[in-house]
Amino acid sequence: MSQPNAGISNENTLGRLFKKKKKTIIGLITTVLALLFISPYIYIVLTSIKPSSDAISPSPTFFPRELSLENYVKMFNQMPIAKYFFNSFITASISTILAVFLGALAAYGLSRFSSKTGNVFLLLTLCVRMVPMISIAIPMYIIINGMGLIDTRVALIVTYTAINVPFAIWLMIGFFNNIPKEFDEAARIDGCNILTAFIKVIIPVSLPGLATAAIFCFMLAWNDFLFALLLTSTNAKTATVGISEFLTAYNLDLGPMTAAAVSFSMPVMVFSILVQRYIVSGMTLGAVKE
Amino acid sequence: MTKESRVSIYFFAPAAIFMLVFLFFPVAFLVRDSFFEIDMIAQGKGTFVGLSNYIEAIRSERFIDTTTNTLIYVVVAVGFELVLGLFFALLLNTAFKGHGIVRTIMLAPLMIAPLVTGLIWRFMLNNQFGIVNKLLYDFNITSSRDAIQWLSDERFALLSTIIADIWLTTPFMMLILLAGLQGISKTLYESADIDGANKIQTFLYVTLPSLFPVMIVAVLIRTVDAARTFDIVWVLTQGGPSNSSEVLSTYMYKTLTRYGQVGESSAMAVIFIILLLVISSYFLTAMFKANKK
Repeated sequence: MSQPNAGISNENTLGRLFKKKKKTIIGLITTVLALLFISPYIYIVLTSIKPSSDAISPSPTFFPRELSLENYVKMFNQMPIAKYFFNSFITASISTILAVFLGALAAYGLSRFSSKTGNVFLLLTLCVRMVPMISIAIPMYIIINGMGLIDTRVALIVTYTAINVPFAIWLMIGFFNNIPKEFDEAARIDGCNILTAFIKVIIPVSLPGLATAAIFCFMLAWNDFLFALLLTSTNAKTATVGISEFLTAYNLDLGPMTAAAVSFSMPVMVFSILVQRYIVSGMTLGAVKE
Repeated sequence: MTKESRVSIYFFAPAAIFMLVFLFFPVAFLVRDSFFEIDMIAQGKGTFVGLSNYIEAIRSERFIDTTTNTLIYVVVAVGFELVLGLFFALLLNTAFKGHGIVRTIMLAPLMIAPLVTGLIWRFMLNNQFGIVNKLLYDFNITSSRDAIQWLSDERFALLSTIIADIWLTTPFMMLILLAGLQGISKTLYESADIDGANKIQTFLYVTLPSLFPVMIVAVLIRTVDAARTFDIVWVLTQGGPSNSSEVLSTYMYKTLTRYGQVGESSAMAVIFIILLLVISSYFLTAMFKANKK
């Protein structure tokens, strides 16, 4: 959206000044509302650096009266949270790589070569998006259990890849369709076969698209709670399940819980603000583009 | 088969095989299981019981209550998200100084895991240490510090989970609607201006109709996602107290893990999928109609 030229012209200066003022007021109101809106998150961050006793004070304050890393120390002492974070990271990363790789290959095939089988496959992929996770979870539990893979990272990697592949396909098709066919044709004339043209020409051009798909796949796996809760118990337990255990019926460790929640979400938050361009394009793709 | 379609199959075969094994096969499994009475200990050995799982599910009062809760959850949450999201999108569509930064601030909750959202609200709505009750008391809205037991009062438990959902996904709604707003052609506004339309008329007759297809997509995505909510409800209330905030996904989870009834939970899942498919096909038809106009 382009800013109107703020330069002074002879006519209508007063009107313009008025318009500018109105914009400033809207801007101010919006900023205040936005800050209010995200204040729950700020509150959790501030609480995590309060002394443990202040975090569960009967008269809580928004800002900390004194700073302390007590909650973070307690968090590490109470459970092997580092191991859980490692499990989350490994399963999310490997499943992301697999899903983006399989998804990109499929999307390229479907975008460049038309076939009836391909169209049917694409439609089925869309239907999968409608299937509620919990209903996949039931047979998944039985299958994984039957394979003897309960409580392994492989179980989670396979599950996350399966959930992410349809999404990666749909996102990548959009990107590939926007790359002119002349690109791969030129590569073919230069002596590439279909596969090398894809690897050497299309992949580099569509890196932003691949990055967008990767961000979304990673976030889904990293944030998952349901499958981790159902398919793991001790060895492959992920951070989300670990964090949820700060809240048991008998033991309400609210202080360390805030520390864990912040440690879990802050890196992702910072990262996504850095790459928000891709996130915005990924989210609005399909919804807005024709 | 033409050479072209053969090449296409080579490319999507790996993904197709993977999805066949880990998505379509499980769904087929699910449908099969819904007709069986299965003993979890005997590892999948079951007896065919026909439709009795379905009949049992539909006739159980708890399933009806849970479905009602899910419907309330979806309608209230998505309704508020749509209105709030549109409000924020309209504000951010004004090119004031620093609107990019404010947009980034608003995007923050999008990155937060539903689980963490549940934890944040569990912390804030706690009736002993929660800041929400303290603020309500400080502003003289409630007469005592624990006037509202957000999570342990049957009247408020479902509402509490809805509040957390609204907080988490209003930014998503805002983002999609903002993109939609920016896609509306300027010439439409110019001609409305020439026709002498005022602000409200322009909004009603230009902005809203142009935004309609985007709105349908956003509402569809959110409806499907809200209907299958699990994390937020699980962390905040686990469906309690006395099932007052039980939604379909938490109920199915309990039926499977606590009561070990594979057959019945599968039957419920199949009913759930069918319901979602019916709802989404309704939305999709509405969208195609809107696009044709």
